[in-house]
Amino acid sequence: MVVGLSAAEKVYIAGGIAADIRGDGRGRHQFREFNIDTSVIPQANGSARICLGGTDVIASVKAELSVPPPGRPNHGKLEISVECSPTAAPEFEGRGGEELSMDLSRALQRSFLGGTSGAGAAIDLAALSIVEGKLCWALYIDGLVLSSDGNLLDALSIAMKAALSNCGLPKVEIIGGTSPEEEPDYELSGNPEEFTRLETSLVPVIVTLTKVGKHYIVDATAEEESQMTAAVSVAVNKKGSVCGLTKRGGTGLDTSVLLDMISVAKRHSAVLRRALAFAGLFSSPNVEKRPVSFCLLLFRRLDANGCRTK
Amino acid sequence: MVLETQKALLKSDGTRLDDRLPTYVRPAFLKTGAVKVAAGSAYAEFGSTKVIVSVYGPRESKKAQAFSDIGRLNCDVKFTSFATPLRGKAGQDIGDKEFSVLLHKALEGAVDLHSFPKTTVDVFALVLQSDGGDLPAIITCASMALADAGIVMRDIVAAISLSCVGKNLLLDPTYKEETQEDGSVMVAIMTSRREITQVTLTGEWSSTKASEALELCSDACQKLGESVFLVPKVCIEEIGNFAIFQLPRPPLRN
Repeated sequence: MVVGLSAAEKVYIAGGIAADIRGDGRGRHQFREFNIDTSVIPQANGSARICLGGTDVIASVKAELSVPPPGRPNHGKLEISVECSPTAAPEFEGRGGEELSMDLSRALQRSFLGGTSGAGAAIDLAALSIVEGKLCWALYIDGLVLSSDGNLLDALSIAMKAALSNCGLPKVEIIGGTSPEEEPDYELSGNPEEFTRLETSLVPVIVTLTKVGKHYIVDATAEEESQMTAAVSVAVNKKGSVCGLTKRGGTGLDTSVLLDMISVAKRHSAVLRRALAFAGLFSSPNVEKRPVSFCLLLFRRLDANGCRTK
Repeated sequence: MVLETQKALLKSDGTRLDDRLPTYVRPAFLKTGAVKVAAGSAYAEFGSTKVIVSVYGPRESKKAQAFSDIGRLNCDVKFTSFATPLRGKAGQDIGDKEFSVLLHKALEGAVDLHSFPKTTVDVFALVLQSDGGDLPAIITCASMALADAGIVMRDIVAAISLSCVGKNLLLDPTYKEETQEDGSVMVAIMTSRREITQVTLTGEWSSTKASEALELCSDACQKLGESVFLVPKVCIEEIGNFAIFQLPRPPLRN
C-alpha cells in the first residue's frame, strides 16, 4: 500500500504514538469501532463482513464433500485463501495484489491450520470426517479485501471466525457403501432445519502489534503502518495458547520484546473474543440465510490490560 | 495414534532416529566462495540438507520498478527437481515463492540498503537436497554469501527451526520429523545484536512452551552465528574457507 506522507505528517504520527494520543484520538492500545454483519452471502454456508474503521473485509465459508487428505483418513480439509480486490486500491489490479494476498493467506494458514499432523488446527479436523477414508467435508474459507485502511490481518481473522461460527453444514445421511471396497452412497438432507454447527470456540483471533518508534500500537491505520519499523501478528485462541506468529518489517526485535508483545496480544485477544462471543448471540446460522446485521462494538479507552478506563 | 508417532521419532533412550538429543542440532558445514563468477556465494550443509546461495550485484534496478532511494534486495529460492524424495515436489511453486518472501524478510533488516541506493542486489538460493530445515539453512547461507560479496551488513543472520512433536521440542528437525510435527517455530536472528529479524510459528502452543521454544531457537542461532563468523568474509581462492559447526554434546539425561 503506497501512502504518501509529508515529513511533518510522519513526525505527527510518530509523536502522537509516543504521547499516547493517535491521529484519530485513540490511545496506543485501543481498537477502532467495528461492525460485523453475518450471513451476508446467501450462496455460502457461512459468511461475515467486518468494517473496522476504513477497512472492510468479507469472509465466506463454503463446504463441499470431498475425499480425506492422503495419509489422514479420519480428517477433513480446511483451506484458506485471501483475495485483494482492485476496488480496494488501484495497486491491487492485475498481479499487483498477489504478494499482499499471499502474505495474508500464509499468515492466516499458519494461524488456522496447525501443524503438518493436523494438531492445533482452528477447527477439529476429525469432526469434519463423515466416512473414514472415503468422505469428509472440505471447508473453503475465502477472504476478500474490499477496502483497506490498515490492520487487514486482524480484520480477516475476526471475519473468518465469525463466518465459521455462522456456518451450518447440511446433514449427510449415509445410505450404503460403508464396506472398504464400495463407494459411499449418501444423501444430502434437503431440510433446511437440519444442519450441524461447527465447534468454533478454539478458532483463534489475530492481534497485530505494530511498532512505531519505541512503542507499539494495536489496530494501526494504513498511515501508521507506513511508519512501522516492525509488526508482529499473534494468533491466540480461547485457551490462551499462541497459535501462530508472523513478523513483518525488517527491523530486528529483542527476544524479550517479542515475548512481551505476545503477552500483550493475549490480553487484547481476550477482549476481542468476548466481543465476538457477544456478537455470536445474535448470529445463529439462520436457515433462511437472511443477513443479520448487528452491534457496533465499541472499544472505548481500553488500556494495555484490556480494562475499561475513563 | 499420537503415541505411535512419538515412538517412531524418538528412541527409548530419548534420542532421535539419527542419535541426536532433542535439543541438539545436526552438524553443519559452512563455506564461502562456492560459485566463482558470483560477487559472493556460500554453500551450507545442515545434516543432509544442502543449499547453495550466490549473490550478484549491486546492479541497476529494472526500469519497470518504481524509483527507490534505497537499494533493493531481490531474493529468489529454487528447489532442484531432485531435491525431494518425489521428483518436483507437489505444489512446489507456491513453496518457492513463500520461501523467497520469507528469505527477503529475514535479510532486509540486516542489510544496509542505504549503502547501494537505486540499485538491486540479487540473492539466488538453490536447494540441492532437502531434508528439513530448508528455510533456516537458506537464510544462514544467504547471509554468509552477502558478507562474501562485500555487501554492507549490520550483522550476520543465523536461523534455526524447531518442531513440536507431542510433548517434545525437536531442534533442527529432519524432513521426516517435519512431516509429523504438531507445530513448528522458525527464528532468524542477527546474532551479535541479538535481534530477531524474522519469526514464524504454527500450531498450538501454550505461552510457556512458546517462549521455551523461542529461547531454544535463539540460543542455537547464537551459537551457529559464532561459527558463521569463523568463515572469513573473503574466501581464499582455490581452497576456500569453511567452518564446521557442532554444538557441544550435552550429557545424556537418564
